[in-house]
Amino acid sequence: MAQPCLITGYLSALSAQLPAPVVAELADGLGETHLHYLRQGLDPDAAARAAVAEFGEPSLVIAGFAAVSPARRVARRLMATGPLVGACWAAALITGRAWAWPVQPAVVLLAGLVLLASIGLIVSAVAGPGYRSVVRAGLAGCAGVTALDAFLVVAVPLTAPAIGWLTSLALAASLTRLMFSARSLRWCLADAAFNLR
Amino acid sequence: MRGEELKGHLDAMLLAALESGPRHGYAVIEALRQSTGGKLDLPTGTIYPALRRLEQAGLITGSWSVVAGRRRRDYELTSAGRQALSGRRADWRDFSAMVNAALEGSPWPSPA
Repeated sequence: MAQPCLITGYLSALSAQLPAPVVAELADGLGETHLHYLRQGLDPDAAARAAVAEFGEPSLVIAGFAAVSPARRVARRLMATGPLVGACWAAALITGRAWAWPVQPAVVLLAGLVLLASIGLIVSAVAGPGYRSVVRAGLAGCAGVTALDAFLVVAVPLTAPAIGWLTSLALAASLTRLMFSARSLRWCLADAAFNLR
Repeated sequence: MRGEELKGHLDAMLLAALESGPRHGYAVIEALRQSTGGKLDLPTGTIYPALRRLEQAGLITGSWSVVAGRRRRDYELTSAGRQALSGRRADWRDFSAMVNAALEGSPWPSPA
Protein backbone atom coordinates (compact mmCIF):
# COMPACT_ATOMS: atom_id res chain seq x y z
CA MET A 1 0.00 0.00 0.00
CA ALA A 2 1.42 3.41 -0.97
CA GLN A 3 2.03 5.70 1.98
CA PRO A 4 0.21 9.03 2.09
CA CYS A 5 2.34 12.10 1.29
CA LEU A 6 2.07 13.30 4.87
CA ILE A 7 3.83 10.18 6.16
CA THR A 8 6.55 10.20 3.50
CA GLY A 9 7.12 13.91 4.18
CA TYR A 10 7.35 13.23 7.92
CA LEU A 11 9.87 10.43 7.36
CA SER A 12 11.88 12.64 4.98
CA ALA A 13 12.16 15.27 7.72
CA LEU A 14 13.49 12.59 10.08
CA SER A 15 15.86 11.16 7.42
CA ALA A 16 17.49 14.57 7.03
CA GLN A 17 18.81 14.29 10.59
CA LEU A 18 18.66 10.73 11.90
CA PRO A 19 20.61 7.60 10.87
CA ALA A 20 18.87 5.17 8.48
CA PRO A 21 18.24 2.34 11.02
CA VAL A 22 16.59 4.79 13.43
CA VAL A 23 14.38 6.12 10.64
CA ALA A 24 13.53 2.51 9.64
CA GLU A 25 12.38 1.78 13.19
CA LEU A 26 10.36 5.00 13.34
CA ALA A 27 8.85 4.23 9.92
CA ASP A 28 7.68 0.87 11.26
CA GLY A 29 6.09 2.54 14.30
CA LEU A 30 4.48 5.24 12.20
CA GLY A 31 3.19 2.58 9.78
CA GLU A 32 1.65 0.67 12.69
CA THR A 33 0.08 3.86 14.04
CA HIS A 34 -1.35 4.60 10.58
CA LEU A 35 -2.79 1.06 10.36
CA HIS A 36 -4.31 1.50 13.82
CA TYR A 37 -6.28 4.54 12.62
CA LEU A 38 -7.23 2.85 9.32
CA ARG A 39 -8.69 -0.04 11.34
CA GLN A 40 -10.72 2.50 13.27
CA GLY A 41 -12.38 3.47 9.98
CA LEU A 42 -10.53 6.69 9.07
CA ASP A 43 -9.70 7.28 5.41
CA PRO A 44 -5.98 7.03 4.52
CA ASP A 45 -5.28 10.77 4.67
CA ALA A 46 -7.15 11.31 7.92
CA ALA A 47 -5.40 8.24 9.38
CA ALA A 48 -2.04 9.69 8.28
CA ARG A 49 -2.86 13.04 9.91
CA ALA A 50 -3.82 11.28 13.15
CA ALA A 51 -0.70 9.08 13.07
CA VAL A 52 1.64 12.02 12.47
CA ALA A 53 -0.07 14.07 15.20
CA GLU A 54 0.29 11.16 17.61
CA PHE A 55 3.99 10.76 16.82
CA GLY A 56 4.78 14.41 17.61
CA GLU A 57 6.75 17.06 15.76
CA PRO A 58 9.82 15.70 13.89
CA SER A 59 11.96 18.26 15.74
CA LEU A 60 10.81 16.75 19.05
CA VAL A 61 11.76 13.22 17.96
CA ILE A 62 15.11 14.40 16.57
CA ALA A 63 15.87 16.31 19.78
CA GLY A 64 15.03 13.14 21.75
CA PHE A 65 17.61 11.13 19.80
CA ALA A 66 20.17 13.96 20.03
CA ALA A 67 19.72 13.92 23.82
CA VAL A 68 20.62 10.22 24.04
CA SER A 69 23.46 10.26 21.52
CA PRO A 70 26.84 9.17 22.95
CA ALA A 71 28.36 12.33 21.45
CA ARG A 72 26.21 14.46 23.76
CA ARG A 73 27.09 12.32 26.76
CA VAL A 74 30.78 12.72 25.97
CA ALA A 75 30.38 16.48 25.47
CA ARG A 76 28.58 16.78 28.83
CA ARG A 77 31.40 15.01 30.62
CA LEU A 78 34.02 17.13 28.88
CA MET A 79 32.08 20.26 29.84
CA ALA A 80 31.84 19.13 33.45
CA THR A 81 35.55 18.26 33.77
CA GLY A 82 36.93 21.03 31.51
CA PRO A 83 36.98 23.82 34.11
CA LEU A 84 38.84 21.61 36.59
CA VAL A 85 41.53 20.57 34.08
CA GLY A 86 41.71 24.17 32.84
CA ALA A 87 42.16 25.47 36.38
CA CYS A 88 44.99 22.97 36.99
CA TRP A 89 46.78 24.13 33.84
CA ALA A 90 46.19 27.82 34.57
CA ALA A 91 47.72 27.41 38.04
CA ALA A 92 50.63 25.34 36.65
CA LEU A 93 51.42 27.76 33.80
CA ILE A 94 51.13 30.89 35.96
CA THR A 95 53.27 29.57 38.82
CA GLY A 96 55.76 28.12 36.31
CA ARG A 97 56.01 31.55 34.55
CA ALA A 98 55.16 29.92 31.25
CA TRP A 99 55.38 33.24 29.38
CA ALA A 100 59.16 33.03 29.81
CA TRP A 101 59.40 29.54 28.25
CA PRO A 102 61.00 29.22 24.80
CA VAL A 103 57.79 28.64 22.81
CA GLN A 104 56.97 30.06 19.37
CA PRO A 105 54.07 32.59 19.58
CA ALA A 106 52.41 30.80 16.65
CA VAL A 107 52.25 27.57 18.68
CA VAL A 108 50.66 29.40 21.62
CA LEU A 109 48.17 31.05 19.25
CA LEU A 110 47.32 27.72 17.62
CA ALA A 111 46.79 26.03 21.01
CA GLY A 112 44.54 28.92 22.08
CA LEU A 113 42.51 28.66 18.90
CA VAL A 114 42.10 24.87 19.31
CA LEU A 115 40.99 25.44 22.92
CA LEU A 116 38.41 28.08 21.95
CA ALA A 117 37.11 25.99 19.02
CA SER A 118 36.84 22.89 21.23
CA ILE A 119 34.89 24.79 23.90
CA GLY A 120 32.53 26.14 21.22
CA LEU A 121 32.01 22.67 19.72
CA ILE A 122 31.39 21.06 23.12
CA VAL A 123 28.84 23.74 24.08
CA SER A 124 27.15 23.23 20.71
CA ALA A 125 27.06 19.43 21.23
CA VAL A 126 25.51 19.86 24.67
CA ALA A 127 22.89 22.43 23.66
CA GLY A 128 22.19 21.79 19.97
CA PRO A 129 18.84 20.27 18.94
CA GLY A 130 19.93 18.56 15.70
CA TYR A 131 21.18 14.96 15.81
CA ARG A 132 23.83 15.21 13.11
CA SER A 133 25.14 18.54 14.38
CA VAL A 134 25.38 17.15 17.93
CA VAL A 135 27.33 14.10 16.72
CA ARG A 136 29.69 16.15 14.56
CA ALA A 137 30.26 18.84 17.19
CA GLY A 138 30.72 16.26 19.95
CA LEU A 139 33.26 14.24 17.98
CA ALA A 140 35.15 17.33 16.78
CA GLY A 141 35.16 18.83 20.28
CA CYS A 142 36.44 15.56 21.74
CA ALA A 143 39.15 15.40 19.04
CA GLY A 144 40.16 19.01 19.77
CA VAL A 145 40.45 18.38 23.52
CA THR A 146 42.40 15.16 22.84
CA ALA A 147 44.84 17.01 20.58
CA LEU A 148 45.29 19.77 23.15
CA ASP A 149 45.88 17.32 26.00
CA ALA A 150 48.35 15.32 23.90
CA PHE A 151 50.18 18.54 23.01
CA LEU A 152 50.40 19.65 26.66
CA VAL A 153 51.48 16.22 27.90
CA VAL A 154 54.32 16.08 25.35
CA ALA A 155 55.34 19.74 25.07
CA VAL A 156 55.28 20.93 28.68
CA PRO A 157 57.78 18.38 30.10
CA LEU A 158 60.10 19.17 27.17
CA THR A 159 59.81 22.95 27.54
CA ALA A 160 59.34 23.69 31.23
CA PRO A 161 62.63 24.27 33.09
CA ALA A 162 61.25 22.40 36.12
CA ILE A 163 58.18 20.24 36.85
CA GLY A 164 56.55 21.36 40.08
CA TRP A 165 53.70 19.60 41.83
CA LEU A 166 51.10 21.85 40.15
CA THR A 167 52.45 20.93 36.72
CA SER A 168 52.46 17.25 37.72
CA LEU A 169 48.83 17.60 38.79
CA ALA A 170 47.90 19.28 35.49
CA LEU A 171 49.74 16.56 33.53
CA ALA A 172 47.90 13.87 35.49
CA ALA A 173 44.58 15.62 34.78
CA SER A 174 45.33 15.76 31.06
CA LEU A 175 46.48 12.12 30.97
CA THR A 176 43.27 11.03 32.73
CA ARG A 177 41.21 13.04 30.26
CA LEU A 178 43.17 11.53 27.36
CA MET A 179 42.19 8.04 28.54
CA PHE A 180 38.58 9.14 28.91
CA SER A 181 38.61 10.71 25.43
CA ALA A 182 39.95 7.49 23.89
CA ARG A 183 37.17 5.48 25.59
CA SER A 184 34.60 8.07 24.51
CA LEU A 185 35.66 7.82 20.91
CA ARG A 186 35.12 4.05 21.20
CA TRP A 187 31.53 4.62 22.45
CA CYS A 188 30.87 7.01 19.60
CA LEU A 189 32.28 4.57 17.06
CA ALA A 190 30.18 1.75 18.56
CA ASP A 191 27.12 3.96 18.13
CA ALA A 192 28.13 4.71 14.55
CA ALA A 193 28.50 0.95 13.96
CA PHE A 194 24.99 0.42 15.36
CA ASN A 195 23.69 3.06 12.99
CA LEU A 196 25.22 1.26 10.03
CA ARG A 197 23.48 -2.04 10.88
CA MET B 1 -0.77 12.33 31.91
CA ARG B 2 1.81 14.66 30.36
CA GLY B 3 5.50 14.11 29.77
CA GLU B 4 6.63 16.49 32.54
CA GLU B 5 4.67 14.54 35.14
CA LEU B 6 6.17 11.30 33.87
CA LYS B 7 9.74 12.53 34.14
CA GLY B 8 11.76 9.97 36.03
CA HIS B 9 9.12 7.25 35.73
CA LEU B 10 9.06 6.63 31.99
CA ASP B 11 12.07 4.29 32.05
CA ALA B 12 10.47 2.07 34.69
CA MET B 13 7.18 2.03 32.76
CA LEU B 14 8.98 1.00 29.58
CA LEU B 15 10.80 -1.77 31.45
CA ALA B 16 7.48 -2.95 32.89
CA ALA B 17 5.94 -3.00 29.40
CA LEU B 18 8.70 -5.40 28.32
CA GLU B 19 8.46 -7.65 31.36
CA SER B 20 6.07 -10.13 29.76
CA GLY B 21 8.24 -10.65 26.69
CA PRO B 22 9.85 -8.99 23.65
CA ARG B 23 7.96 -6.15 21.98
CA HIS B 24 8.65 -3.68 19.20
CA GLY B 25 8.33 0.08 19.77
CA TYR B 26 4.69 0.46 18.78
CA ALA B 27 3.68 -2.62 20.79
CA VAL B 28 5.43 -1.11 23.83
CA ILE B 29 3.37 2.06 23.42
CA GLU B 30 0.16 0.05 23.00
CA ALA B 31 0.97 -1.99 26.12
CA LEU B 32 1.54 1.22 28.10
CA ARG B 33 -1.73 2.68 26.85
CA GLN B 34 -3.63 -0.46 27.81
CA SER B 35 -2.03 -0.76 31.22
CA THR B 36 -2.74 2.91 32.00
CA GLY B 37 -6.32 2.79 30.67
CA GLY B 38 -5.40 5.26 27.90
CA LYS B 39 -4.25 7.93 30.39
CA LEU B 40 -0.74 8.03 29.00
CA ASP B 41 -0.50 10.99 26.64
CA LEU B 42 3.00 11.15 25.24
CA PRO B 43 4.05 11.89 21.66
CA THR B 44 4.67 8.34 20.39
CA GLY B 45 7.89 9.38 18.67
CA THR B 46 9.49 10.28 21.98
CA ILE B 47 9.27 6.68 23.24
CA TYR B 48 11.89 5.53 20.72
CA PRO B 49 14.77 7.68 22.08
CA ALA B 50 13.86 6.43 25.56
CA LEU B 51 14.14 2.84 24.32
CA ARG B 52 17.51 3.69 22.80
CA ARG B 53 18.66 5.14 26.15
CA LEU B 54 17.64 1.95 27.97
CA GLU B 55 19.45 -0.14 25.38
CA GLN B 56 22.62 1.94 25.81
CA ALA B 57 22.33 1.41 29.56
CA GLY B 58 22.21 -2.36 29.00
CA LEU B 59 18.73 -2.69 30.52
CA ILE B 60 17.13 -3.90 27.29
CA THR B 61 18.49 -5.46 24.14
CA GLY B 62 17.22 -4.97 20.60
CA SER B 63 17.18 -7.19 17.53
CA TRP B 64 16.06 -6.57 13.98
CA SER B 65 13.47 -8.52 12.02
CA VAL B 66 11.52 -7.87 8.82
CA VAL B 67 7.73 -7.79 9.04
CA ALA B 68 5.51 -7.03 6.03
CA GLY B 69 8.54 -5.65 4.20
CA ARG B 70 9.40 -3.23 7.02
CA ARG B 71 12.47 -3.41 9.27
CA ARG B 72 11.33 -3.81 12.85
CA ARG B 73 13.33 -3.59 16.06
CA ASP B 74 12.16 -5.80 18.91
CA TYR B 75 13.27 -5.19 22.47
CA GLU B 76 13.53 -7.47 25.46
CA LEU B 77 14.65 -7.07 29.05
CA THR B 78 18.16 -8.10 30.01
CA SER B 79 18.86 -9.55 33.44
CA ALA B 80 20.16 -6.10 34.48
CA GLY B 81 16.84 -4.68 33.21
CA ARG B 82 14.84 -7.13 35.34
CA GLN B 83 16.87 -6.18 38.40
CA ALA B 84 16.44 -2.48 37.64
CA LEU B 85 12.67 -2.94 37.25
CA SER B 86 12.45 -4.76 40.54
CA GLY B 87 14.41 -1.95 42.25
CA ARG B 88 12.26 0.76 40.64
CA ARG B 89 9.10 -1.02 41.79
CA ALA B 90 10.32 -1.15 45.37
CA ASP B 91 11.33 2.54 45.23
CA TRP B 92 7.96 3.48 43.77
CA ARG B 93 6.05 1.59 46.49
CA ASP B 94 8.00 3.44 49.19
CA PHE B 95 7.62 6.78 47.44
CA SER B 96 3.89 6.44 46.76
CA ALA B 97 3.25 5.21 50.32
CA MET B 98 5.08 8.28 51.65
CA VAL B 99 3.17 10.72 49.41
CA ASN B 100 -0.15 9.02 50.22
CA ALA B 101 0.63 9.27 53.90
CA ALA B 102 1.40 12.99 53.53
CA LEU B 103 -1.45 13.95 51.20
CA GLU B 104 -4.26 11.61 52.13
CA GLY B 105 -3.43 10.85 55.73
CA SER B 106 -3.12 7.16 54.85
CA PRO B 107 -1.37 5.09 57.49
CA TRP B 108 2.32 4.45 56.80
CA PRO B 109 2.61 0.76 55.92
CA SER B 110 4.29 -1.14 58.72
CA PRO B 111 7.24 -3.31 57.68
CA ALA B 112 6.28 -6.95 57.13
